[in-house]
Amino acid sequence: MEKLQFDNLQETLYKEVMDNGLHVYVLPKPGFQKTYATFATKYGSVDNHFRVEGQEEVSVPDGIAHFLEHKMFEEPEGDIFATFASNGASANAFTSFDQTVYLFSATENVKANLETLINFVQHPYFTDQNVEKEKGIIGQEINMYLDNADWRVYFGLIEAMYQIHPVHIDIAGTVESISTITKETLYTCYNAFYHPSNMLLFVVGGVNPEEVFELVRANQAAKDYKPQGKIERIFEPENVEVAEKRRVAKLAVSMPKCLFGFKEKTVGFTGSELLRRDLTTKLMLDLLFGTSTELYQKLYDEELISDSFSHEYNSSPQYAFSAVGGDTPDPDKLLARVREEVDNVLKNGFKESDFERARKKKIGGYLRMLNSPENIAHEFTRYQFRGSDFFSVVQVYESITLQEVNDRLKEHVDWNQMAVSIVVNP
Amino acid sequence: MNKTAFQHGNAGRMRIHVLPSKRFKTFAISLYAGIPLAEETVTGTALTPFVLRRGTASYPETRQIREQLEQMYGAGFGFDVYKRGNYQIVQFRMDTINDSFVKSQESLLESSFAFLGEVVTRPVLEEGRFRGSYVQAEKENVRKKMEAIVNDKIRYASERCIEEMCRNEPYRLHPLGQRKDLEGITPQSLYDAYRQWLDHASLDLYVVGDTSLEEVEKLIGKHFDLSAAAEASYKQEKSVRKADEVRTVVEKMEVSQGKLNMGLRTSVTYADDQYAAALMYNGILGGYPHSKLFMNVREKASLAYYASSRYDGHKGIGTIQSGIEIQNYEKALEIIKMQLEDMRAGKITELEMSQTKAMIRNLLLEIDDSAFEMIAYDFNRQFSGKDRSRAELLQQVEAIRIEDVKAAAETFELDTIYFLKGQKEE
Repeated sequence: MEKLQFDNLQETLYKEVMDNGLHVYVLPKPGFQKTYATFATKYGSVDNHFRVEGQEEVSVPDGIAHFLEHKMFEEPEGDIFATFASNGASANAFTSFDQTVYLFSATENVKANLETLINFVQHPYFTDQNVEKEKGIIGQEINMYLDNADWRVYFGLIEAMYQIHPVHIDIAGTVESISTITKETLYTCYNAFYHPSNMLLFVVGGVNPEEVFELVRANQAAKDYKPQGKIERIFEPENVEVAEKRRVAKLAVSMPKCLFGFKEKTVGFTGSELLRRDLTTKLMLDLLFGTSTELYQKLYDEELISDSFSHEYNSSPQYAFSAVGGDTPDPDKLLARVREEVDNVLKNGFKESDFERARKKKIGGYLRMLNSPENIAHEFTRYQFRGSDFFSVVQVYESITLQEVNDRLKEHVDWNQMAVSIVVNP
Repeated sequence: MNKTAFQHGNAGRMRIHVLPSKRFKTFAISLYAGIPLAEETVTGTALTPFVLRRGTASYPETRQIREQLEQMYGAGFGFDVYKRGNYQIVQFRMDTINDSFVKSQESLLESSFAFLGEVVTRPVLEEGRFRGSYVQAEKENVRKKMEAIVNDKIRYASERCIEEMCRNEPYRLHPLGQRKDLEGITPQSLYDAYRQWLDHASLDLYVVGDTSLEEVEKLIGKHFDLSAAAEASYKQEKSVRKADEVRTVVEKMEVSQGKLNMGLRTSVTYADDQYAAALMYNGILGGYPHSKLFMNVREKASLAYYASSRYDGHKGIGTIQSGIEIQNYEKALEIIKMQLEDMRAGKITELEMSQTKAMIRNLLLEIDDSAFEMIAYDFNRQFSGKDRSRAELLQQVEAIRIEDVKAAAETFELDTIYFLKGQKEE
């Protein structure tokens, strides 16, 4: 058991790697009633083409990682939610581009719940019948998202930017793509990505670290995992340019939704380099589009944006892009005005005082997030899968300079790399 | 459960509730200001906080307000307007970093009260009324928000169901107010509405963090300009409204998925002895993934991705919501009605009882881990006039037997069926 102390955050993290390669982290929160645990695999919707060392290369149907997530909850004795409920735990799971996370939250019976979590994720049970049944449920989930304008405009932007990289494929797939999923394809994916060496268990809350490690050690020792070779994720080269400059979808909305963003020309960063770039870009976007900026207030006064106007940055080793926008009565006018205002900022860069304030805001936002065990577990895991250290965020923010932010601004805001996604009334 | 409890005090007509705690990294502050929900006041009251956030006496420009929040390490500030029982509540929230985590020269707790006091009690005025440009812009903003409700079909269907069900009482009103009222609102009339609201609202201010009741009382006295009007408190009338004949409302819109919502009436409300039984009723029917609705509509029949129920003890209303294939309407309705009948007939297993109790227990225990959840629970006590600790409620839930749930089920009567379906379908 390794102990990592973060004095500035008043947090202590404990870590241990099991013999089979499973990484386990425990963050005790003295005085907390609840324990929150996530069991995650570094496997998401983008991993649709891969080869495990010594095995055949495979391509699998779109939406299969998410389908697999649904199917894991079924065990021969029934639905695993019932087992969690008997022990007072609230359980769930989610699939994103590059990870699948299973979780529970409980105030009692923590050991029993932790065993349930580990055991059900490490025990696939797929039958022809239960795979078929799930297609109806997931079909309704897909339909639900089809009616969701915010999701449509967001995904439309990614589709406009990326032509080849599977990040542009909807996480749940389509009704057609999931129709080709069988129990055999599910087992192929399961066996490739659910090996303990590709997974991370994070436990946060009112727990004793040594007790958690003891439980996990015994649990894993009783299971017969053979060492697994490296997983090679195969991605065809993505174009530098955006796939489409502008993409429009039709849906019943009260007002058009417009998102725009910039596709990074250079990717491939990992670890602390990726983290620094990620945080620098987020700081830059806040200085450019945040609610206290001149640009924001002007556009608000001109009634081109509303409270829904926001910005985000999504970065991984293989893809990175910004997404900015919200509801607007006139997407073209909004885009023209944004370009005008941003060009002004590009000339002179940001002011030192604004930069210092934005930095404070970011540090405060991070510290506030540490009140939530859920956020800590999710963010820590996400960072870890990218080789970045979640607990170094404050130090990185403190070390970022105005020069770096201004350089990032010039590099990121390249109008040739911009794509636009719009949702309008039919 | 922690043995900590809120300390209660007063500053003028404001009730103050403080929970000193060192467990969190922030000071959590909440101000509740509620007035009876009424057609004449609903729109003005809803619009008021939107204008208040635009400018204060010390920070007349919106950008200054937002810069001030950023200076305070990005203090969280926000507000909500919602219905609770027969009241309309405006809730302001702040979440500010505890100074010990950052190198701040000023007390961030004091800065927070100075800020909140300014926003709520010292708006920027022009000739004794609100600034015209802010009122105009926020009228437009609220109008857009009202129109945007339709964009989220799940929320839209649920609000429409309530609106139809309560069409003959104030509860039909949307918390944001009525579109037809917006046009006539002037800077003077809104200022008058603001004064009315501030002078007559029931005011409850909450703080959770490393502070004391004395300190908070002092800060309120220093930073809030409140009139000497009498303290107001919430009054609950016993709901006597019975369900009418079941009414079915069908609405057509451009949607991929049908939204089936149902509204039920119950005589059991928050302050009743039967409240714990009503909570159990809802939990067994559709509160969780082990509940009847999820198991039968989703897992067995594969008809939906979500199928759940909610219980609003302040209003005495139960709701059911599900997203289904449009042609499966009859089938889904039949299955849901069957679950309601089974509840009434007491067809409930001991396992359903024990699982639901365990889930409710978990829910009540984990409130302790969130400052804002603790605040919300205590506010329910202030609001309903029912002094029932979480420990007491927990005991009552543990003691519930199947016949108690059956008795509670008999008080839930189906009132309205609302179905949102596609344009094309028959």
